[in-house]
Amino acid sequence: MDTLQHLLAGLAAALSLQNLTFALIGCVLGTLIGVLPGLGPAAGTAILIPLTFKLDPTGSLIMLSAIYYGAMYGGTVTSVLINVPGEAASVVTCIDGYQMARQGRGGTALGIAAIGSFVGGIFATIALVVVAPPLAQVALRFGPPEFFALMLVGLCLITGLGGRSLLAGLIMAVLGLLIAMIGIDPVRGAPRFTLGIPSLYDGLGFIPVVMGLFGVAEILLAVQQPHRQVIKTDLASLLPSRDEWRRASGAIGRGTGIGFFLGLIPGVGAIIPTFVAYVFEKRLSKTPERFGQGAIEGVAAPESANNAYANAAMIPLLTLGIPSSPTIAVLMGAFIINGLTPGPFLFQERPDLVWAVIASFFLGNILLLVLNLPLVGLWARILYLPYPYISAGTLLFCVIGAYSLQQNVFDIGVMIVCGIIGYGMRKIDLPIAPLVLGLILGPFLEKSLRTSLEMSAGDFSIFFTRPLSLVLLVLAALVLAASALRLPPREIREASTD
Amino acid sequence: MPTSGSRAGKLGWQIACLCLLGVFLPALVTSLGYSLTDALGPGPGFFPFWLSLIGAVLSAVMLAQVTLARTDDAIAISVAPDRQAALRAVGVLIALTAAAALFEPLGYRLTMLPFIVGLLLILGARSPIAISLTALAGSFGVFHVFYHWLKVPLPIGEFGL
Repeated sequence: MDTLQHLLAGLAAALSLQNLTFALIGCVLGTLIGVLPGLGPAAGTAILIPLTFKLDPTGSLIMLSAIYYGAMYGGTVTSVLINVPGEAASVVTCIDGYQMARQGRGGTALGIAAIGSFVGGIFATIALVVVAPPLAQVALRFGPPEFFALMLVGLCLITGLGGRSLLAGLIMAVLGLLIAMIGIDPVRGAPRFTLGIPSLYDGLGFIPVVMGLFGVAEILLAVQQPHRQVIKTDLASLLPSRDEWRRASGAIGRGTGIGFFLGLIPGVGAIIPTFVAYVFEKRLSKTPERFGQGAIEGVAAPESANNAYANAAMIPLLTLGIPSSPTIAVLMGAFIINGLTPGPFLFQERPDLVWAVIASFFLGNILLLVLNLPLVGLWARILYLPYPYISAGTLLFCVIGAYSLQQNVFDIGVMIVCGIIGYGMRKIDLPIAPLVLGLILGPFLEKSLRTSLEMSAGDFSIFFTRPLSLVLLVLAALVLAASALRLPPREIREASTD
Repeated sequence: MPTSGSRAGKLGWQIACLCLLGVFLPALVTSLGYSLTDALGPGPGFFPFWLSLIGAVLSAVMLAQVTLARTDDAIAISVAPDRQAALRAVGVLIALTAAAALFEPLGYRLTMLPFIVGLLLILGARSPIAISLTALAGSFGVFHVFYHWLKVPLPIGEFGL
């Protein structure tokens, strides 16, 4: 069966009333998460996983994916109306979006953001359909040494690009990998670091850890921040004028391209594509002085890049099993909870599921456009909800989510402890992304390493005698070396704390 | 990581480095108790040993870097929250811990009802009607949705609630 047939079959599955409903619910919840300042997509996706426990894997993953890209859409509303990004990727949108709102053009800013996001999301999904199957075919030829080297590249990219200090990033990645070692050894069955606590035999649950690091930590930080004033702006006219269309259309195209290509690289994070798209537009503009004063290109380009990135970031996950960001890692966790391992084998073993999820991206983007344009006033009203109620709701879902995965109160304790750790890490600016990625990739990395060494009877040269493995290891070393030499521009490194 | 900064910021990083060493060093010692190699190659202790060792060395290097960094009191990095904010954060943690402790003995609904009320009061909500309605919705309402509709197993306590 060729790609088109798979896609049509996936589309038929995604268009079933049940899956369409899940996509719609996911889009609404995701937009809500994006709209609520402080609650990022990683925490939002994690705390809503319990909603999907009893769904079939296809429905569950369609809903969680919709939550993910819905959150990427929703973050714009707060950026424009209160100058606070609803999620990290909307930081750049604040610059011109907020100025547009102050000038009474908030509706236009939100309108062009929704249109740009739609174009970016649809383009990236089309590219996903084209790129993913051949990439998965290539990845099928990978053996354990290649997978080990590939995961190492992913971790190095996230560590190298994911923060201001390479050393701190490395330590966090190592800590994440070490935490992943807690529990029963997957090869020999020996307990490790379990301290005699039966609840630790299955390891530390990924979801409670992520809920703590992101959800609880965000609430602990939020109680210290003053609340922001919502700008009263015209939300009636959402469509740009002819001149604004002319300015925005090129920016949408360029932002989409930038977001898509950067989405393919693990570790880039959601902020960098938006930042690069913004800077690119400003440099290209004949009137760069308008940027920062309410230039529509300053909203169109980063928003298109943001959603193109969000959809393109699914390519490394679905084809190689490499999550590009903490939010994608949460999605990977959701796959694992459903008994599925993302990667090339998934295309062979469960093509029905993979293609239904991919097809749902098209529907999700259409649903989000419909939800975002006419209902923008409703989303704006959510900003008037008092923060104590939002925080209480978030913590409620965190408790339910942490407990219900294994029906174990111990996991709520894990979440609380991780919340305190996450709070401390945010306060001193230690990067969380490498830790989360290390945690999710740890078991796979260890299994690949040990299987490789078993293949070679303990001889490490297996990683250097296989050409692809060698190339990937050299690439990993180059990424770390470039980061150590501080080759990525400072602005990029500082923008990349996802 | 600060190469210069306030004393408070530097202290925060030093504490973080010491905490990391406090994790990696015991892990290193513990991992020595697992076999590093066996007949088929690397044993259960292989990965933990090297990770702990690398983590401990990197943490020690970072501690040295931070300690030797220039301290510039002119740059204010706020690490410690103000008293009110700290009290609210501690209150949230106490509420969460109490909820965890009572979750199974009392059941979801009886635990969450006071949890939400307490949490809202800690976070600054003052409207008794809004607090009561939110608490009822968050405890009995959410239980109904999750337990009966979504079939998510939430605990029922000794009082049958």
